[in-house]
Amino acid sequence: MKNTCALEVQHLSVRFPDGTYALQEIDWEVHQSETMAIIGESGSGKTTLLRLLNRLAEPSSGHVFIQGHPAIDQDPIALRRRLGYVPQDGGLFPHWTIRHNVCLVPQLLEWSIEQQYDRFTTLLPLVNLDPTVIADRFPIELSGGQRQRVAIARAIAADPPIVLLDEPFSALDPLTRHELHEQFLILKTQLHKTMVLITHDITEAFRLGDRITVLKDGRIHQIGTPQELLTSPATPYVASLIEHHSGLQQ
Amino acid sequence: MIWASSVLASPGTSIVIGSKNFLENRLLAEMFAQLIESHTALTVERRFGLAGTQICFQALTNGDIDLYPEYTGTGLVTILDEPAMQDPSAVLNHVRSEFRKRWDLWWLAPLGFDNSFALALRRDRAEALNIRTITDLVGAAKHLKAAFGFEFIQRADGLRGLKNLYGLEFEDVVGMQQSLKYEAADKGDVDLLDVYTTDGRLAVYDFVVLEDDRRFFPPYDAAALVRGETLEQHPELSKILSLLTNALSPERMRELNFRIQEKGETIPQVAYEALHTLHLVKETQQTTATTTKESTSFFSYMWEQRTMLRVRTGEHLWLAGIGLLLGIALALPLAFILERWRSGAETMIRIIGMSQTIPSIALLAFMIPLFGVGALPAIMALWIYSLYPILRNTFSGLRDAAPSVVETGRALGMTEWQILRSVRLPLAAPTIMAGIRTSAIWTIGTATLAAFIGAGGLGVPIVSGLQLADVRVILSGALPVTILALIVDGLLGWIERFVRPRGLEVSK
Repeated sequence: MKNTCALEVQHLSVRFPDGTYALQEIDWEVHQSETMAIIGESGSGKTTLLRLLNRLAEPSSGHVFIQGHPAIDQDPIALRRRLGYVPQDGGLFPHWTIRHNVCLVPQLLEWSIEQQYDRFTTLLPLVNLDPTVIADRFPIELSGGQRQRVAIARAIAADPPIVLLDEPFSALDPLTRHELHEQFLILKTQLHKTMVLITHDITEAFRLGDRITVLKDGRIHQIGTPQELLTSPATPYVASLIEHHSGLQQ
Repeated sequence: MIWASSVLASPGTSIVIGSKNFLENRLLAEMFAQLIESHTALTVERRFGLAGTQICFQALTNGDIDLYPEYTGTGLVTILDEPAMQDPSAVLNHVRSEFRKRWDLWWLAPLGFDNSFALALRRDRAEALNIRTITDLVGAAKHLKAAFGFEFIQRADGLRGLKNLYGLEFEDVVGMQQSLKYEAADKGDVDLLDVYTTDGRLAVYDFVVLEDDRRFFPPYDAAALVRGETLEQHPELSKILSLLTNALSPERMRELNFRIQEKGETIPQVAYEALHTLHLVKETQQTTATTTKESTSFFSYMWEQRTMLRVRTGEHLWLAGIGLLLGIALALPLAFILERWRSGAETMIRIIGMSQTIPSIALLAFMIPLFGVGALPAIMALWIYSLYPILRNTFSGLRDAAPSVVETGRALGMTEWQILRSVRLPLAAPTIMAGIRTSAIWTIGTATLAAFIGAGGLGVPIVSGLQLADVRVILSGALPVTILALIVDGLLGWIERFVRPRGLEVSK
């Protein structure tokens, strides 16, 4: 596995039953330990792209590679357990305690209880939560920001090499969002994970992404670093996004 | 309290007596029962109040009952489906030979009275319109409001035949319970009604019984109709029941009916006294408590009836409980299967939902050819009725359980089975319990229908009360049903607190 991309997508299309495309002829790759932000409006195909990676959706044509191996050859259940996942609303099980929630994947992988508890105790400080205080609480007893921290902890509990985040911060108030952004950047430097972060917020994409993919109507408009996007936007759509972003900056 | 003692004895030493669901028929059945009890060592099981001729007759041919009181005219027209004949002995001879040939059923000697149908008109209307015969009625019929018994409306020897022969057309015909018709006519809500000629109430209400001038109604001589097999096993029965041959005149019968209908005497009492007067039973101590309609308050009536009510409540709980448990046992797994097999689910659930709309009497009518009468068909019917609320709630609860949470579980590598067990099921638990509660209440309410097919339960006092037009008797069954439903609902609500997963609402 020399120099393989963490994630790679080739000539990929997803067609709806009515013949229109969710994604059309996509070529796309994410390097090891890179954070790739995907930005696009709703309907741009960004969530579909994420679902193809953990095989919650299948392509109509083309190929998906995870760590160099075709996704299609892998057992979807085992694959998903190796890919962390954070949904927009946290997706915590309301009837499970925080510890139970965080230890979901370790439990599915049949770790011993001691291992699970150890992991919980070392993990929660990473997302700035106190494991002793919070272990036996239920999600409803937590704030939105705390819940999202727990969701991130759950995603990385079994130490997956790749983490998929589907608009993880979009439902939070600006102050909490800012706090979590800081936290995310610290985690990123500590853990060196490959991450795919979906967002519709260009500021967030610029702040958190090493590179950014701009999706519109099922096609990729540009893939590049924030600097590249700023200096040489590939299409008028990208240019308008940047304008909007710099508008917000002032 | 012989009324309540339905002892299950081994076959051979017990016989089962049925009756239709009106008073005179019950009284005759009770007289048969007491007569047999006092002359033999046989145990008599009473399956009274079976809903109508068809159910009674089915039960007899199935062997669920050994005998019941029937009327020759009904045998001829309703059961054999033949045109009416006028000569009583010709009718008797005909039904005798046909019933023996076709079903090995035996008509014993007639009891001595003919309880025919007749049409009765309020006297004021009759005099104003100058109506004395059914022919007189034809011209005026369009302006009269008629209330007839449900069976009468459908029978060939009832309204259908009357329309054909006389050309009767009414402005408005309503179907009504026998006892309610009298009150409705008395109040002036209806003008015309069908009556039994031996009905005791004819002595009280001021009606003109119209002459059947074209001799439409056949004779309806009452007699015991018995299974041939039963007579073979217990040859003494035919001799014992023959003691009642010609023992009851129409006047006597009207008087006995009157005592039950208007004086509030109980059927076992009146049956006993009628037999005693004929010197057919020995003196016993059972005539002690004579209650009359007005003498006791509702609660002291309930207290007097406590033994009967206890037995009926037990029966009721048993029927409803088994029906509900079977319903849970089928609906829960079925909902799990349908949740996996979504494409067929809605159709399946709708089909089961339609079963709820079948009227209970119709459902029972379908059941009887398959399961006979008694507890089994009642439980089967309750089972069918209990399915839908549980199925619908379980399915919807599982399907709609927190979709985003389910999706997250899937994305993190849970199998569908793990999602079902650890996510869908606990989150759906409150909805499933709500379905079970709905079903429990529904089943307890519906179990009153068991009375129609001789399965007992609290429907028995309700149905008898309806026939007696005695609110007190109706309430003595209806009130315990309501209390039972409240208690069971409370109990299930208490259980629900343990089933509901923690974390669904903020704890204090």
